[in-house]
Amino acid sequence: MKDKLEQLLATATTQIGEAGTEAQLQSVRVSVLGKKGDLTDIMKGMRDLSPEERPQVGALANEVKDRFEELFAKRLDALRESDIAQRLSQEKIDITLPGSTSVAGRKHPITLVTEEITELFASMGFGVAEGPEVEQDFYNFEALNIPKDHPARDMQDTFYVDDETVLRTHTSPVQIRTMLKGQPPVRIIAPGTVYRRDSDITHSPMFHQVEGLLVDKNVTFGDLKGILTTFVHEYFGKNIGVRFRPSFFPFTEPSAEVDMQCVICKGKGCRVCSQTGWLEILGSGMVDPEVFKSVDYDPTVYSGFAFGMGIERIAMLKYGVNDLRLFFENDVRFLRQF
Amino acid sequence: MIVSYKWLKELVDFDFTPEELAHKLTMVGLEVESCELIGGGLDTVVVARLESVEKHPDADKLTVCQVNNGTETVQVVCGATNHTTGDLVALAQPGTVLPGDFKIKKSKIRGQVSFGMLCSESELALSEESAGILILPADLALGTPVFEAMGLTDARMEIGLTPNRPDCLSQLGVAREIAALAGTSIHLPEVQVEEAGTPAADETSVDIQDSDLCPRYTARLIRGVKIGPSPSWMVRRLEAVGQRSVNNVVDVTNYVLMELGHPLHAFDYNLLRGRRIVVKRAGEGEAFTTLDDQVRSMTANDLMICDGEGSVALAGIMGGQNSEVGEETVDILLESAWFNPIAIRRTSKRLGMHTEASHRFERGADIDMAPVALDRAAQLIAELAGGQVAPGVIDAYPAPLQPQMIELHPEKAVDLLGVQISAGEMKSLLEGIELKVDMQEEGSEAVLNVAVPSFRPDLEREVDLIEEVARLYGYDRIPTTMPQGPILPQQATRRQKKVRKARDLMVAAGFDEAVNYSFISPTAWDRLLLAEDDPRRTNVKVLNPLTEEQSVMRTSLVPSLLETASRNLAYRTLDLRLFEMRPVFRVAPENDLPVETLRLAGVMTGRRYSDGWAQSDDTVDFYDLKGAVENLLASFLVERLQWDTDHGEPYLHPGKSARILSGKKVLGILGEVHPKVQQAFELDRPAYLFDLDMDVLFDVCRDFGGFQPLSRFPGVHRDSALLVDEAVTAQELLQTLKGIKVRDMEGISLFDVYTGKGIPEGKKSLAIRVSYRSAEKTLTDDDVRAAHDKIVRVLCEKMGAEIR
Repeated sequence: MKDKLEQLLATATTQIGEAGTEAQLQSVRVSVLGKKGDLTDIMKGMRDLSPEERPQVGALANEVKDRFEELFAKRLDALRESDIAQRLSQEKIDITLPGSTSVAGRKHPITLVTEEITELFASMGFGVAEGPEVEQDFYNFEALNIPKDHPARDMQDTFYVDDETVLRTHTSPVQIRTMLKGQPPVRIIAPGTVYRRDSDITHSPMFHQVEGLLVDKNVTFGDLKGILTTFVHEYFGKNIGVRFRPSFFPFTEPSAEVDMQCVICKGKGCRVCSQTGWLEILGSGMVDPEVFKSVDYDPTVYSGFAFGMGIERIAMLKYGVNDLRLFFENDVRFLRQF
Repeated sequence: MIVSYKWLKELVDFDFTPEELAHKLTMVGLEVESCELIGGGLDTVVVARLESVEKHPDADKLTVCQVNNGTETVQVVCGATNHTTGDLVALAQPGTVLPGDFKIKKSKIRGQVSFGMLCSESELALSEESAGILILPADLALGTPVFEAMGLTDARMEIGLTPNRPDCLSQLGVAREIAALAGTSIHLPEVQVEEAGTPAADETSVDIQDSDLCPRYTARLIRGVKIGPSPSWMVRRLEAVGQRSVNNVVDVTNYVLMELGHPLHAFDYNLLRGRRIVVKRAGEGEAFTTLDDQVRSMTANDLMICDGEGSVALAGIMGGQNSEVGEETVDILLESAWFNPIAIRRTSKRLGMHTEASHRFERGADIDMAPVALDRAAQLIAELAGGQVAPGVIDAYPAPLQPQMIELHPEKAVDLLGVQISAGEMKSLLEGIELKVDMQEEGSEAVLNVAVPSFRPDLEREVDLIEEVARLYGYDRIPTTMPQGPILPQQATRRQKKVRKARDLMVAAGFDEAVNYSFISPTAWDRLLLAEDDPRRTNVKVLNPLTEEQSVMRTSLVPSLLETASRNLAYRTLDLRLFEMRPVFRVAPENDLPVETLRLAGVMTGRRYSDGWAQSDDTVDFYDLKGAVENLLASFLVERLQWDTDHGEPYLHPGKSARILSGKKVLGILGEVHPKVQQAFELDRPAYLFDLDMDVLFDVCRDFGGFQPLSRFPGVHRDSALLVDEAVTAQELLQTLKGIKVRDMEGISLFDVYTGKGIPEGKKSLAIRVSYRSAEKTLTDDDVRAAHDKIVRVLCEKMGAEIR
């Protein structure tokens, strides 16, 4: 019996070693441990043994069984390992072929710049205010200290809908609408579409602006410089030079144009900046007391500043776009560059 | 406004180079837009003498000249005809770069060597056009640079003036600013009028009948002038500031306008009927012919200069043909007046006449300058046209204006500007621009009493003076600070967030964003086949559009979007997914502002997938579009979504289009573009579009659908193919299915639609998949069978379906 067991283990060991596939290996297992397996037969034959022999042979049989299981498991692992290795060696693709995908679209650069500017000003506490594009003369002009028959109206060629209604020429009427809604403090920006009766290579009859307004106690011209310098530095780069120079807007006093160092030539002078080294990017100023009067703010208590910039201009400078008309032609070859 | 550096030098002392001056003026609020150096870099254009002029042997129209440039005699070929031996000419030697980037090289012209070029005035940018080459005065030294020899070196600066600074519409005005910058003062031209003959007042008179529109009118009489060309210094002066010479008298009035900023007008005195001036409003409907030969129709609000019988000039804007100075003119009545800015502006706007005079009067001329300019002009006319100035100035000034007085509280300036400037410093800054300042101490605080001179009509309030202080002090010297107030968190509004979400979703779905003009052509509605009574044809109209194509505010985004698609197809970009999300404009009832509602429209055409080796070339169809819209609506958690065909949109294919509803609220439409519309917009292939009313969408959408706990038990599904009438829609089947009450139904989907082999005529097969899952246990076969059997039974009953 003992010999039989040793013989069995030796045969099984050989068979395990010869099994080349998992199926062959499993059939070896069945031939040893299955219902009619060799080891099972031997175990069945135990009852014919004497009570003295039985524990010895039993122990040996268990040892053989454990040994078999051990060999079996080892071989199984090895076979699976080699299976995977073989599969991996065969399965090879050209990973440089382009992926299959659905391509995402692009936001219009005007939208992108508007969102960027909005976020930047939001971080400085400015909320977004909106107003209608077809606007009353009162909000667009009168309340902004631009009376009828004033030469300042020539600064903006206007599309009229009727005597008292215009396509807004700037986003400044949103200032008025906002201030009429409540007392200071006010910190808003107003991005939006505006219209001017002017069309050539550098003018579009429809374009976009972002207006800003801050009104509170003790707001100074220095604060205007602070906020707008921060804007230029955050948006265009920390080392960009910024300068403020006197200008005129009917709704601000004092008024300032804001120039930044030309981003194309770094201030050396080029075609884009007309050799000056500077680019005009913002109009700004301290809110004129006349404007405060028309919205019932007390100019002896409050002061504030307003500013406005053209989004297309900012986008052209930011992205180096050389032709304003591209923004409204919606050529997909253009749109997909942003 | 153009200023000449040289001219300015005569009016004020300063040491700035042209470039420095341009920078300083810009930084004080007079933006120098361009600074052109006259004669700059032209030192190699020298005075030379023509030693001989001979015909070119091989060209009729050319001459071969021997030219002495002071050191040697060289040969130059010249195409002009106005030169002869002995003339002094301007020789541009090889290496010169003339204005307009014109390089002069040694060359051969028809076989003859030419060492340079003989220049005309226009080639040297001395005038806009010229006939022949420039013949120089005979007394110039050979070899010296022409510009230097003729004293022509100059800088021409173009200043972009803001409308609040009429005082700077002259050389003198800009000189005043320079005086403040340089700490010097201006010197006005010396005026001495030699008078002779009968006093003017004995012969003529000025009667202002409407002094509200004309507070002051001064005049002089000059007899015996001879109209002729101006001397060259005058011609050059005018050219330097962009004016053309006309004749000596007109040139003088223009010269004084440019120098002192005050508009003048010269009448032919002998054409004035009654030999007198009356200033009054026009008769309503009066016809008047201005100098430019236009017949103008006047209103009773227009101010006219009249003689004894009728109008002779449109006050402050343009003279009349009937009193124009011409070659025959002998006696002149010279006008220097001041007119009400608003009146001038109204008339000039109404008539569309914008002149040098109206430009100044409507911004505000200097009333005190009127008599000064008058004398200056009288003096120059006498000098240039040889006339005799009649003694005495007629000065009709019924109610002299008092100078404006403004109080400036220095602490207010300090508070507003955020910089410490002392009262004394403010005083001296303001005095630098000729304001009279009286400083008084009020307790511990000073008050500045400021008298504003008549040339600064823009200074009316304390804040205007604060601006002057800031401007002259220098914006760059004001410290940069941050506002003191608290920074409150700024959230986008709910609506703003949704707008952004919709845009993000469209982009994620592969759509590129378009931005089109809000105004379109009214014919767009015809191309969309809209019915005559379609409300979208009622548009907000622009009264003064640039073109008919941009004359009405759009009530739909569809036409612009189809045009955008068409334009891209024309550029052979064939796979398009475009969207636009912007307001449309509807005429409001009553007199309210138009109603602006936000819409989102999209268009699709071309292939379903981008270029790719693993992707098919299939083109998009209705369902690609519908999928994109469904995905958008699903992201907005729109409930009770319904699709029907009752949209009535004539621009959609009737069999491949739908209306989108949430319950009873119409969200919009989608479908294939109608073949006729496709043709009208020149789209060479089928296109699919949708158009959503975002205000409705934002109204029915939800932010969050509510949390559902997850089942820990496995789910199963059952599929059934149902045979139904062809007319039964997927929506009917699925909605019936959804309405059946069975336990543990988790989801349903329609995964196959089949007609053809094996399916009877008039029928179709719809395959549905229903998934089941319980929150409490693992479902048994029996559980699922019971539920699914019920579903199939009910569908068979309600929809007339049969199991396949």
